Amino acid sequence: MRVAYYSPLPPERSGIADYSSLLLPALRRRIEVEVVRRGRLRPQRAEAALYHIGNSPEAHGWIVEALRRKPGLVVLHDFVLHHLVAGSTLGRGDGAGYLAALERDAGLAGRLLGHAVIEGRIPPLWETRPQDFPLAAEVLDLAPGLIVHSRYVEERARAAGFERPIWRIPHPAWPPPGAEPARMEGEPIVGCFGNINASKRIPQLLRAFLRLRKSHPRARLLLVGEAAPRYPVERRLAQLGLGDDAVHRERYVDEERLWSLMAACTVCVALRSPTMGETSGSAIRALSLARPLVVSDEGWFSELPDEMALKVPPGAHEVDVLTAALELVASSPEARAAMEASAREYVEREHGLERVAEAYAAALEVAAGGEAVRDALLWELARAAAESGFGPREETVLARRLREVGIGP
Amino acid sequence: MRIAVCSPQVPFAHGGAELLAERLTLELNEAGHETALVTVPFKWYPGTRVLTQAFLWRALDLDETDGRPIELVIATKFPSYAVRHPKKIVWLVHQFRQAYELDGTELGQFGSSPEDRALRRSVHELDRRTLGEARALFAISRNVAERLERSTGLVADVLLPPPQQLDYRCESYGDFILSVSRLDRAKRVDLLLEALAADPALRCVVAGEGPDRERLEELARRRGLDGRATFAGRVGKGELADLYARCLAVFYAPLDEDFGMVPYEAFLAEKPVVTTTDAGGPLDAVADRRTGLVCEPSAGAVAEACSWLRGHPQDARAWGRAGKALAERLTWGEVVETLLARA
Repeated sequence: MRVAYYSPLPPERSGIADYSSLLLPALRRRIEVEVVRRGRLRPQRAEAALYHIGNSPEAHGWIVEALRRKPGLVVLHDFVLHHLVAGSTLGRGDGAGYLAALERDAGLAGRLLGHAVIEGRIPPLWETRPQDFPLAAEVLDLAPGLIVHSRYVEERARAAGFERPIWRIPHPAWPPPGAEPARMEGEPIVGCFGNINASKRIPQLLRAFLRLRKSHPRARLLLVGEAAPRYPVERRLAQLGLGDDAVHRERYVDEERLWSLMAACTVCVALRSPTMGETSGSAIRALSLARPLVVSDEGWFSELPDEMALKVPPGAHEVDVLTAALELVASSPEARAAMEASAREYVEREHGLERVAEAYAAALEVAAGGEAVRDALLWELARAAAESGFGPREETVLARRLREVGIGP
Repeated sequence: MRIAVCSPQVPFAHGGAELLAERLTLELNEAGHETALVTVPFKWYPGTRVLTQAFLWRALDLDETDGRPIELVIATKFPSYAVRHPKKIVWLVHQFRQAYELDGTELGQFGSSPEDRALRRSVHELDRRTLGEARALFAISRNVAERLERSTGLVADVLLPPPQQLDYRCESYGDFILSVSRLDRAKRVDLLLEALAADPALRCVVAGEGPDRERLEELARRRGLDGRATFAGRVGKGELADLYARCLAVFYAPLDEDFGMVPYEAFLAEKPVVTTTDAGGPLDAVADRRTGLVCEPSAGAVAEACSWLRGHPQDARAWGRAGKALAERLTWGEVVETLLARA
């Protein structure tokens, strides 16, 4: 079977580009895959299509356009697509498109809010309240099936009325590259990786880290990743008196450096609130290295097993709980060892690359041919029922039995 | 207890799986349980027939019969385990192998069309659901258990079936190698015939019937094996026991076989077994140079193994006897007790 594959790919700097470059070789061992480049047409011979959709208009706008031309299985990396929709509509001068999307999500109130955004009366919703207006309806309408990475996104899609098949397939883990840990002064070393923006809870992390320094004066924080425009991370560090001895700051790093820095960490922190339904490539990398993890108790992050991820509920006591979590990992070699062992076992069991690729192949094959199989099966059974003089009541029983064994509609 | 043993039946075929289901039924009855063998004809082609035939099992009502409850069902091979029952145990003989490890090989069934690919995945889904709902899972060999875990993530305990009852005895270590199996390509009897072609001193008797017989006989003719390879066809129990009693050794080298009773039968006649490194289930029984010879799956290697045994009858005897001790440990009493302990 031949599959047309739509995704950002390196050298684009995107978590989904990294994801696809990890997945593609394993997927190609199972099915024929043709990667469709931006601006190219879908290959003629493709029997199925796979569209990776995330929240960035630059990385995914063209993929949504391709999905509109020819529907296919959608990998929904984020449930909240407000940035994507805003960029693809307002960003191209299509105010009406943005208003229509908001109205679809939130009725007339949504349209009015959209007007307010366009007229500059209120700050952009994609910066202030994207989680309240996910704007995923069009993609859900177009997709004959979804691949998601978390129960959270699956539930949100169902709550939004999506009734077609959903495959929940974990994010694949990178094979640990055996990177030499970066030389780094300090003990313990707390790592925070990935793009730095408001949802990463950096203020809370910095306050908790300051408290940790009181009991562990040699503690060091690695803050690695590009800061979002208008996000004043350097100024914030200066305000808190966190100098180079306390915080090691690097912006964009290549893959090799990323692994090396992560390998030097005692614990990795991956906070996220509000969540857009995303998974975290950084958290998966940390688990691949069997690093203890501290995460927000929200979305996909809250689905990680407690044995290897300490959970911090966003809100009033966030800094207290985060401090306690860092203290525990910093002070207890036993706790660290137990978390590391759990991480190894969990990654192998749930996030193994071959297992994930096999699940993708299964989803694609069922999405491409499943309906024809069901039709043929039902036709055969219905013919037998009709020839025997059975009516609709018996057909209902048949349909129920078929569903029980996973082959019914 | 009233028990239904469930086993599909390919009309006119009768092999190890059928023998196993029949014997289990008999043994459960002898253990004091009212037991019936439930069979449904099985045809797995063309197209979606594999699913409709599986679905027949799901449509059965085995909760009770004639107003009295059936308290336990024991399903055996695909698709009988699709049966629906509140107390279902599976003693897995095999899944539908064409949907798994045989896919993409010449023994596979599904092509590369989207419909065929999806059909194969439907078999996987059916397995996951219907095996997953069983109260307990057993597999007839380590090979079958490992395949199950690889394909579905489900874990089964290994419960080896005892060999069929025959008048097992050892009369001599004669001048022929015995092959006992249904004659289909997966059993690879052609390996033995090619081995005979490679070593003119070897003789064999091929016991069994099946769709590959014509091809095998033609191969024997082409290789000029007349007189050295005897096709005995389907043999009765007495004749089979007699062949076991007189042969030098038994050849049994199917490709990735589920279990294979043949090695244990050979052992009860104190005969060593020649098998191959890729034979699957038989490797649970045949240990190289302890109960037989395990060689590479090539005619040359099989010829070398058989020739070696011809020259070393004392070793053949010692290994056959070591095998016998192993085979005698497998008893139906143990099987019945183990299955019912999880009911």
